[in-house]
Amino acid sequence: MFKYHPALPIPNGKTCVWLFLSTEIMFFAGLIGTYIVLRFGAVAWPRPHDVHLSEPIGAFNTFVLICSSVTVVLALEAAKRNKAGEAKGWILLTFLLGSVFLGVKMYEYSAKFAHGLYPQEPHGLIYEKADVHYTAAVRKRLAELKTKLTLQGEHTPEQDAQIAIVDQISRDLIDPAEKAVRDEPDSPQGRILMLRLAYAIYPPQYSDEAESMAAAASPDGPPIKLVSYETEQPAANGEAPQAEAEHEGLNGEHSWLRLPVMIPGGGLWASTYFLLTGFHALHVVIGLIAFGLLMMTTLDRKRANVIENVGLYWHFVDLVWIFLFPLLYLF
Amino acid sequence: MSTITAGTHVHDHAHHGSVGHFFSTYVFSRDHKIIGLQFLFSTLFWFFIGGMLALGVRWQLAWPWSPMPILGNLLYKTEGGQIAPEAYTMLFTMHATVMIFMVIIPILAGAFGNFLIPLMIGAEDMAFPTLNMLSYWFMWPAFLCFGGSFFVAGGAGSSGWTVYPPLSLTAGSGQTLWLIGLTCVGVSSMMGSVNYLTTIIQMRAPGMTMFRLPMTIWAMFITAVLQAFALPVLTAAGFMQLSDRLLGTGFFIPEGWSAVNSVRAAGGGQPLLWQHLFWFYSHPAVYIMILPAMGMVSDMIACFARKPLFGYKPMVYSIAGIAGLGFIVWGHHMFVSGMNPVLGMTFMVATMLIALPSAIKVFNWLGTIWGGKIQFTTPMLFAMSFVSMFIIGGLSGIFMAATPIDIFIHDTYFIVAHFHYVLFSGTAMAVMGAIYFWFPKMFGRMMNDSWGKVHFLLTFVFLNCVFFPMHILGMVGFPRRLADPYHYETFRHLQPLNQFISICAICMVASQSIFVVNFFYSIFFGPKAGRNPWHANSLEWMAPSPPGHGNFDFQPVVYRGPYEYGSPEVDIDYYPQTMPPPENKPPQPAPAH
Amino acid sequence: MNRFWSLVFLMVPVCGVATFVVAPYFQIWFPHDISEHGRVIDQLFMFILWLTGIIFIVTEGALVYFTWKYDGRTNPEPAKFSHGSHTLEVVWTILPAVTLLFIAIYQMNAWADAKMRKPNVPITAEVTGRQFNWDVRYPGPDGELYTPDDIIRTDGQVHLPANEEVLLVIKAADVLHSFFLPNIRMKQDVVPGMEQYMWFKARETGEFDIVCAELCGWGHYKMKGRVTFESREDFDKWLKQKSDEQNAMTIAQTKAE
Ligand code: HEA
Ligand code: HEA
Ligand code: CUA
Ligand SMILES: [Cu+2]
Repeated sequence: MFKYHPALPIPNGKTCVWLFLSTEIMFFAGLIGTYIVLRFGAVAWPRPHDVHLSEPIGAFNTFVLICSSVTVVLALEAAKRNKAGEAKGWILLTFLLGSVFLGVKMYEYSAKFAHGLYPQEPHGLIYEKADVHYTAAVRKRLAELKTKLTLQGEHTPEQDAQIAIVDQISRDLIDPAEKAVRDEPDSPQGRILMLRLAYAIYPPQYSDEAESMAAAASPDGPPIKLVSYETEQPAANGEAPQAEAEHEGLNGEHSWLRLPVMIPGGGLWASTYFLLTGFHALHVVIGLIAFGLLMMTTLDRKRANVIENVGLYWHFVDLVWIFLFPLLYLF
Repeated sequence: MSTITAGTHVHDHAHHGSVGHFFSTYVFSRDHKIIGLQFLFSTLFWFFIGGMLALGVRWQLAWPWSPMPILGNLLYKTEGGQIAPEAYTMLFTMHATVMIFMVIIPILAGAFGNFLIPLMIGAEDMAFPTLNMLSYWFMWPAFLCFGGSFFVAGGAGSSGWTVYPPLSLTAGSGQTLWLIGLTCVGVSSMMGSVNYLTTIIQMRAPGMTMFRLPMTIWAMFITAVLQAFALPVLTAAGFMQLSDRLLGTGFFIPEGWSAVNSVRAAGGGQPLLWQHLFWFYSHPAVYIMILPAMGMVSDMIACFARKPLFGYKPMVYSIAGIAGLGFIVWGHHMFVSGMNPVLGMTFMVATMLIALPSAIKVFNWLGTIWGGKIQFTTPMLFAMSFVSMFIIGGLSGIFMAATPIDIFIHDTYFIVAHFHYVLFSGTAMAVMGAIYFWFPKMFGRMMNDSWGKVHFLLTFVFLNCVFFPMHILGMVGFPRRLADPYHYETFRHLQPLNQFISICAICMVASQSIFVVNFFYSIFFGPKAGRNPWHANSLEWMAPSPPGHGNFDFQPVVYRGPYEYGSPEVDIDYYPQTMPPPENKPPQPAPAH
Repeated sequence: MNRFWSLVFLMVPVCGVATFVVAPYFQIWFPHDISEHGRVIDQLFMFILWLTGIIFIVTEGALVYFTWKYDGRTNPEPAKFSHGSHTLEVVWTILPAVTLLFIAIYQMNAWADAKMRKPNVPITAEVTGRQFNWDVRYPGPDGELYTPDDIIRTDGQVHLPANEEVLLVIKAADVLHSFFLPNIRMKQDVVPGMEQYMWFKARETGEFDIVCAELCGWGHYKMKGRVTFESREDFDKWLKQKSDEQNAMTIAQTKAE
């Protein structure tokens, strides 16, 4: 071995980890920057509740991660004191906390998927605005259901009920909308009816959302539309959504419907949400693997620096989430 | 040798059988020198490919639609050897991709960085040999993706090396491979740069303070910083474009957008966002592609002027300055992209300022030659040509930095002239010089100097014939990336000039054969080189050539900077860094930092 | 022999300057400029060409001179053992800095005129780039864009009035394109989902090229349009005639149905 003239009083491994983390910072800076640019460039952006993001769950996950950061530190302390068993215990706890975080994330994802909230191709249900394509898509879905239900000869009563609902939706909501559009293509009437359909299927969670939704629902600029809106269709303006805000819309009531939902900015939201949380989750997984490997070794004083390096990485992963949580769940 | 080589290596040998030994020594080697050579050979191979692609481009520009000899029948049999427009877009896209991501960047950082860093700082190897090995083997997926993409349906990437969406989103599966390949290059460079940084920070020989490092190492160091901070952003952007292509997300897809063979995807994204993310990496990348060359040129010039490098610290600071400013000028590629014009103005000012550190470097190189005793060896000729050519390429940069002018010359051949002057006439020439210079250290033999000079002369003359006229082409407004520019009557009269350019390009590529022959011949039959054939000062020349495992057969200790040529302290005209000062003078203490 | 290398390097400034001197005689120079601010841009270019030209000659000259004078074989006195000079460093930091800042400020005005000071005149036409053609939409008799009586041309022939401020909205239908008028010295990328404005004033009538200057697919090279600048009267006449044609067609169609 040669003698060297190091500039920093720390082992190479640690230097390397710090450098690696700085590249990681730039990576997430890129992702988060993208999120910010796209979000503030977007015409509309869904509120957390519109896309079934629940702050409590997010907060809980944040708490879990912070705890796990603490346990790593404790593990390191134990290792430094050469208490291998104790250290292993803390690492195990960290591992478990990390797994909890992932479990919750998985639960959240599955909830999104259940509502068809993911980038559109191939099966996502998000539509940007309530236009003819949207109504057509709803009709298509209903037709599918109808055939599926009517196919088998014998209907259980609740199947009959389902058929009834399907018919009712297409009769009360779609037919009038499509008719209005067909009769006079660019009259507000048609748009309002289509918007009504959209709200009925998937109501916005905040009443003031109706404004932006109406705006998004009408291709060229809100003002005129909103006026004509008041005059012609009291039903569909401000209070209508409020009324519907109580119940959670047709999709919510009858989960088997899975009708296309109208969420202005939903597509872009889904893109960014899954990008950010996905890459973060990936980092958590890598961290867990590292802890798994650590647990196979005896965590005495010799291993302390390894624990420290993995810990550094883990703190970073934690830190990233602390940025993501408010960004995604609160604003 | 193995007496001083660290235990790990010795064990390597103990365990493996002869075959395993071969593999561990030459294929999956963890020795930085072998890895460096692996990079060198791979990149030189791709350099050749990139050159061939360039010839395809040149052929089409000189004699559009006329069947291309030899290659044509090989590649475009179906079109009767003719280059179809989509084939042309593919040609220049892959030409640029190969040259930038598989030649210049890996040959600088990968080949020379790997080979020189431990040798020049007096280390026995990189800080993390295995990581180092991985950084080479991560190039292979990239090689396979880029190489293989030529054979998939729809051919290789064909949306320019800048792969602007939405066009790139409509492109075929070759584009997907392109993006994956890019990601692999990114991972490789990231591993490399982290490793280099750690090595340079922590593993310098005793006495080797930061300000006694050769310029090459300084350049590699700052390049590694650039890589580490700029590349991850491109990687992120690459993932986004991939998911736009494959998962139907909508990062770069405008509202309500639909185009041929593209999936219905979430809209509302911003095409310009890609350009910002891409150039945020790719502008620093252009400095990644020249700083190491500048460093190596500084070493060669000082060595062959037999005189200390003029203004060592200004040289270091200017490299740092270029790197720093390099992060805030990316917008100069987007002046007419629809970006807010006010932003354009600020980017313009920053771009102007970045000429300043470059100016300092140029003047200091001139200062180094001034008053020297110049030895016109092949490496010196290449090094001086770098200076002379970089001035041209740099000055043309000033035109484009001037926003109103860029309105006119953006995406014309003026740009093409600019970046070939900095990239080929600059970096590529410097690299060739560096090959001549460090060849003895790499293979223990000298390359033939006379043939080297012939090679230099031909390349130098032809490259100017190829790239200088492109400036005036640009002044006519002759656009880039046109499969058949003469489709516009207004450009018809430029065809003869283009034919001249193409002929010179062919001659230039042909004259590289001299280099290839000289290179391979010398590996086996070149005259044996001693440890220090050039009488240079820096540490690598103190090691045996080629150095064995562990590089040095003694503990290197450094007493001074690497540029003490012609020092009055000694009676030889050079003063190796490891040479203890004469007794009467006490050794200078290593200044703390 | 070594003097020979100095001569080789001497060829660089010599041939370099020569190229720019002879180029005009082969019509390899700026395309004929017919716009107001085009002159400004050309002057800027020439100014920077002169400035950088001088720097070019000086620096390359120095290189040649040093290689000539300090050739190791012929140069008797020993190499100067100097590590640099503070004053020199300062000098050649300040000088370029001043020059560069001067250039930077000097050209800001031209940029602002070209891209920031949008004139408030009615929009003359809307140009849309699509693979691989330029479509134009003129306001019809009612002088308003996006009304049913708009005149839409898809033959890649753009007609515009000369000798007056012209304001265009330019868009992209599918991918990026770039609306480039070499003779106007104007260029603007068009981005799907964005609206770009371009304004200029042609001083001459005549027919000129429209070049697509941003890679937009295999047909990028043939995305050529023609722009015809004509006097107000001719332009209005042309518009009138086109709108009549269009009406005639629509009537015919309605009859057919
Ligand atoms: C090694 C690569 C390299 C280097 C070093 C540079 C260096 C510079 N580049 Fe270049 N550039 C590229 C590679 C590089 N570039 C590439 C590949 C592209 C095209 C990408 C694409 O579109 O495909 C490009 C494109 C490009 C553009 C965009 C053009 C367009 O698309 O419209 C611009 C605009 O400002 C620009 C500017 C500059 C400037 C100001 C410098 C400066 O750093 C130059 C500084 C040097 C000098 C100025 C000369 C030496 C100084 C003196 C002799 C002192 C005196 C000088 C003065 C006082 C002026 N470059
Ligand atoms: C490092 C970068 C690099 C290099 C070296 C080159 C080299 C060359 N390039 Fe360029 N080129 C680019 C980067 C580069 N290029 C980029 C970024 C673009 C933009 C693409 C885009 O628009 O998207 C471009 C585009 C481009 C165009 C414009 C195409 C268009 O816009 O329509 C043209 C046209 O003439 C061209 C020509 C050439 C030529 C003739 C060479 C010649 O110099 C090539 C000469 C080749 C050799 C000299 C290789 C010989 C082989 C060896 C020396 C290997 C020896 C092997 C062993 C020893 C084992 N290139
Ligand atoms: Cu349109 Cu190029
Ligand atoms: Cu740049």
